[in-house]
Amino acid sequence: MVGRWRDLGLAVLGLMLLLLVPVFGAPPAIRDFIMFGMAYGLLAMSLNLLIGYTGLVSFGHAMFFAAGAYAFGLAMQSGKFSIPGAFVLAIAFTATMALIVGAICVRLNEIYFAFLTLAFQMLFYNIILGWVSFTGGDQGLMGGIPRPKFLGIDLADRTQLYIFCSIAFIVCIAILRQIVTSPFGYTLRMIRDNQERAAFLGINVPLVKLACFVISACIAGVGGILLTLFVSGAYPNFGFWTTSGEAIFMILLGGSNVFLGPLVGTVILRLLNDITVSYTSHTELVLGIVILVLVLGLRKGPLDLLAERWENRRQAAAQAVRDAADKDAGKGGT
Amino acid sequence: MVAAGLVGAPAISKAQTGAIKIGVPTILSGRVAILGQTSVGGLKVVFDKFNEAGGINGRKIEMVVRDSKGAPQEAAKVTRDLVNNDKCEIILDAEASSGAFAVQEVIREMGVLCIHSNSETSSLTADPKLHVPTAFRTARQGIHDAIGGGDYAAKIAKAKGLKKWATCSPDYAYGRSNTAEFMEYAKHFDGNIQVVEESWPKLFQPDYTEVVTKLLNAKADAMYSALWGGDLVAFIDQANLYGLFDKQASFMVNLGDYGVVDQVKQFPQGVYSGGRYNRTVPATKENEEWYQNYVKTQKHKPTNWSWENAVAAEFIVEALKKTNGDTNGKKMAEAIKGMTLKSQFGTKGTVTMRAEDNTLVDYIIGYGVSQSKEPYVSDFQASAWEPIFELEKQWKKKQGYIS
Repeated sequence: MVGRWRDLGLAVLGLMLLLLVPVFGAPPAIRDFIMFGMAYGLLAMSLNLLIGYTGLVSFGHAMFFAAGAYAFGLAMQSGKFSIPGAFVLAIAFTATMALIVGAICVRLNEIYFAFLTLAFQMLFYNIILGWVSFTGGDQGLMGGIPRPKFLGIDLADRTQLYIFCSIAFIVCIAILRQIVTSPFGYTLRMIRDNQERAAFLGINVPLVKLACFVISACIAGVGGILLTLFVSGAYPNFGFWTTSGEAIFMILLGGSNVFLGPLVGTVILRLLNDITVSYTSHTELVLGIVILVLVLGLRKGPLDLLAERWENRRQAAAQAVRDAADKDAGKGGT
Repeated sequence: MVAAGLVGAPAISKAQTGAIKIGVPTILSGRVAILGQTSVGGLKVVFDKFNEAGGINGRKIEMVVRDSKGAPQEAAKVTRDLVNNDKCEIILDAEASSGAFAVQEVIREMGVLCIHSNSETSSLTADPKLHVPTAFRTARQGIHDAIGGGDYAAKIAKAKGLKKWATCSPDYAYGRSNTAEFMEYAKHFDGNIQVVEESWPKLFQPDYTEVVTKLLNAKADAMYSALWGGDLVAFIDQANLYGLFDKQASFMVNLGDYGVVDQVKQFPQGVYSGGRYNRTVPATKENEEWYQNYVKTQKHKPTNWSWENAVAAEFIVEALKKTNGDTNGKKMAEAIKGMTLKSQFGTKGTVTMRAEDNTLVDYIIGYGVSQSKEPYVSDFQASAWEPIFELEKQWKKKQGYIS
């Protein structure tokens, strides 16, 4: 219970830090970087709920990112919805889609699960490409996404959009945190480590996996909505396999065993991209080298490594205390 | 060489204070990197000349080129960064179509001058819902090519009795809309034309055997293709093995570009190609000089994208002269709207930025017969603009763009 309040406190602190950015008049480029990072951060964090906590390696997670983006964009372009209405509709659409895809995929393990999610993603991607009259095909949703005022909030104003994105982002992160620290989160880890044992303990493994799949998809959908608001459009490559690959890179870069690892990975990847793109067109080469160094050199994400070292030091210190106590006890005995 | 030049660009940008910075979001990596490279080449030729002449009020033009990697969301972010971070006062959008639509929305919000130099998708400027007062287009337009090409194809079809047509175009929006529009106008000019087969190979498809077999089985009199770049080269090389081009007349809108026409190993005879960029079209001293200068300075041949960007750069230079170097988006837009420029890429030696929809007109459109050696095209026939204007107006009415 204490941990829960601590996490909520940290979430409020995180939100306040994010809100300080416009208060202190940070350049628009910094705000843009953060907004872009928040959208992709939610994609990576939600994917890590599947990969890091449940052991389900999905290659098709970007389809939910795109589903949220397109559902929201189309709803807004229809002119029949307010922003909150379109937001809820987009999440409901993403959840329904995840429920259908997940019901088919979660019974499969490892490579079969990975490839089936990839297949569904490519199916969804091709629907976007092929249904030109509805989705705009490869040109995406053209003409911008209308942002009518609601409750006095004007998302056409960049500062208000930033605040809105920050709140949505922190709420999603807080939800993810509550999930991974709840009994449900520990059930996910148990399934990841030994799903047969979990089943023997009476856990309905497919149902838990499906719930995790749907929650994860909804958070990715929110990421898609934030990106749609940022770029004022939705494009097919939001749902292409390379976007799923990018999210996996983010997890690799940051680390999958620490809660905020994928977020750190997102920041690293975006920073690497934004810096290298200013100096060379060979960004992929730079990213490839960095990933090679991480995979071959560290064999884990930097945050995982830091957490591991912290744990080792903590254990070493505890051992030293125990040794000292044993020594003292030994002295006392003689 | 081009890449090396681009790598150096940021360093230059930091050194020159007071320069007029022009941000160029484009594609510099992946299979269509040639788009960005030859676009930048076209811009450099004009801006270097402007700078050598002293610039305006002592201010020179400096390009800040960024790679969007062909992703629209990256194009949008890069464009915002160019304005907010790099302090670019003008955006020259050398993106492909999907990126251009994303950039258009950024320009709507930021209000700087923008010229789209590569997007051929007609709706970008034709659809009033997408209109942005400070955004213009110097790229050729799909509907213009379709009307001009349809007219040319119909004349050949009538003369040679080509009634049964097949199509082979890439399976995405550009390929499908371009092909539909071309065939619509071919039928408009020759009512006997009918499409008996359609094939839609995937973009960047490596093997065309199935497509070629389908086309052979159709036993069509003629074929239209909107394939482009490496895909077109691969298709021609593979179709040659089956003798496809001996059995039918072929019309390929994108064959005429350098980088394609000079890359085909076994060139088919009598293939009709749309005008992209060619040193002999028009066969004038100015065009030849421009070509020679481009090759000498950029170390590669210009493409269709090169001239489109060169024209964009010329509009910017002329507008700067009119505003006395003031880069304010509204003032620059007022200067460019309706502007006519002397240009070797125009049918009458001029090109015009049409005021009603901020798009380029009077540029050279047409078809010719492709050949394997320089100048790669013969018997080029430029389309007249009056019928294009008339049919374009009807097309806009049909789309609901005008009443």
